[in-house]
Amino acid sequence: MVNVEEIRDYAANLLGKGEVKSVLGFRRGSASAFAEPCTITDVGEAASLVWDPTCLNNLTLYLVKDHKQQAAAKTPDNRPVGIVAKGCDSRAIGVLLQENYFKREDVVVIGVSCEGTGVVDPRKLSAKLKGRTASRVSFYGADGINVRVYGEETETVIPAQEVLADRCLECRAAIPTLNDIVFGEAVGAREFDEPFHAAKAAESLSADERWATWEHHFDRCLRCFACRAVCPMCYCPECVVDSTTFVVTLGTSAEEKANRIRWCERSANTSESAVYHLTRAIHLAGRCIDCGECERVCPVNIPLRLLNTKLEKEAFEMFEYQAGHDIEQASLLSSFRDEDPNSFIR
Amino acid sequence: MEKILNQEKLREWVDMLDDCEVYAPAFADSVWNYARVEAGTDIDLSHTNTIGSVKEFVFPQREVFFRFEKKDGVPVLTATLPDPKPTVVFGVRPCDGRGMPRNDTVFNKEFEDPYYWARRDKLTLVGLACNQPHSPNCFCQSVGGSPHSEDGLDILMTDLGDRFHVKGITVKGVEAMERGRDAFGAVRDGDQAETEKVHDTSRSHPQRPLGNLDAIPEAIRESFDSPLWADMAQHCIGCGICTFLCPTCHCFDINDEVISPTTGEGERVRTWDNCQFPDFTMHTSGHNPRADLGSRLRQRVSHKFLYFVENHKTQQCTGCGRCITECPVGIDIVAVLERVSQS
Repeated sequence: MVNVEEIRDYAANLLGKGEVKSVLGFRRGSASAFAEPCTITDVGEAASLVWDPTCLNNLTLYLVKDHKQQAAAKTPDNRPVGIVAKGCDSRAIGVLLQENYFKREDVVVIGVSCEGTGVVDPRKLSAKLKGRTASRVSFYGADGINVRVYGEETETVIPAQEVLADRCLECRAAIPTLNDIVFGEAVGAREFDEPFHAAKAAESLSADERWATWEHHFDRCLRCFACRAVCPMCYCPECVVDSTTFVVTLGTSAEEKANRIRWCERSANTSESAVYHLTRAIHLAGRCIDCGECERVCPVNIPLRLLNTKLEKEAFEMFEYQAGHDIEQASLLSSFRDEDPNSFIR
Repeated sequence: MEKILNQEKLREWVDMLDDCEVYAPAFADSVWNYARVEAGTDIDLSHTNTIGSVKEFVFPQREVFFRFEKKDGVPVLTATLPDPKPTVVFGVRPCDGRGMPRNDTVFNKEFEDPYYWARRDKLTLVGLACNQPHSPNCFCQSVGGSPHSEDGLDILMTDLGDRFHVKGITVKGVEAMERGRDAFGAVRDGDQAETEKVHDTSRSHPQRPLGNLDAIPEAIRESFDSPLWADMAQHCIGCGICTFLCPTCHCFDINDEVISPTTGEGERVRTWDNCQFPDFTMHTSGHNPRADLGSRLRQRVSHKFLYFVENHKTQQCTGCGRCITECPVGIDIVAVLERVSQS
């Protein structure tokens, strides 16, 4: 069992010694049964840190956010940031280091082992509760998850396997390999499911069946862009979906304005939403570390992880590449080996 | 008009609305959302709040204003005013119902929006009172509503277990009930008292409190330059979930979508826009007056609890709680207002 007191002490110590400017972690939220992200800058605030399978977020996103803020600041504070990281979150940090987004010394990784369990999938919980909101979720090891539903006195016990996130059921590396310290036991895998099992199942469908599935999902997309906004790998200063740098001057002609590049229209319809999601998936090829955040945040529950794991599977099968596992390795898209399959350039 | 409808007669009533498009909540892809009801199928009113709100029926996410093309070098415009079939939506929760008069005000204030009203005039909202809050984030009573508010609804149904108490509120609502003819029974002794009892019980459930609602506009005004906003938006990811799911958010963008550059064929479309997006206030000069997430959070909250109150004497929030429940990082408008009020 991870002792949360140890995480709190470690964070307080880092802040007390001035080794970090802040620590990214989780606290109990006011809004739901799930923990919420917090940034603590004061030793006293470390007591509010929590750790359990409701700590869903990949906090690496906030390292990216901080990096952008410091880059834009007149007097940047470049002291390192501490971050509570699960195995998958540490791989996200790994990819950012491989891509030279920031340096290793910019971050203190407070690794936490999921100990072969993982985090709850709110979508699965919602399916179990038929849309009702859980007011409390507690976790009793591998046996089950106790859920208290709002407005009901009783607690529902659900087998953990039925509500854990798919990625956790497939996870083989629950230990943060990139770390400055790890809390919790070194249980690396849960092995309920084969890796890429959802992608493999999808591949067994016909092209028509696959398109029917995705057409259904793209039709439902609200284009809130939460999947992009929550992804630590989506750090482009300007995204194809919102043009913020097309500056109009006195000399800009009507034609230039009309012909400015718009990769994707604002309309939430099948074709535009397909362009958006496929563009994002391809930009994540060989970079996605399967934290599942895109899928978690989708308000209409589009199974976005499936798109990304399909590309993850391609990277693994064709190039034996797993994003974020080895920061010494060159990134997939920037490297070439003689033995790489080259059928795509014939 | 007040009637009693036995649970098993609900489908009979729905089937008699066969010249209308009927929508009701359905649980699919792990969310409740409105779906078209095919004739002869049952509807399930055990829903929590739907993920999308009824604003989508009058203010769709994509609305074509007109089509354009060039014929022999001459631009030709084709009108696309909607002419929908009469539409009846079942299972509208009272918080969503209260959103409608607020939207009506916006789309009628200085200019009567013909696209909105073409849909609105043909829309009948059949409300369903909440016997208890569906979520710990419900706060309809804290913003002047109630779990059985009739505001904005054409009909209010109250679930009495084996039967519904059905009240026609508007002319449209009474007409829809009349179409159901024999499906309905008369209100008998005790039905009224039982309905009131259900309403009283639903009101007694605790909800998220907002303190002194009347003092909030001033508190927001005074905290305009406060660092609180940046602090509260620290973990905001700037997605559009909170406003897209909101029953009263109505900001939009207008774009020309060119289908063929050679024929100049295309459509002018209105799509939802969102004050949390980075390009929402982007000026053509490159300056963005709300470049940071703190000022965007302040805008959303101020619009609902300050500017709308100044302009329309009511909050632009009905306490449905969607923006709280669905926020990926736990930003909670009730907690935000509490902090602003206490600062």
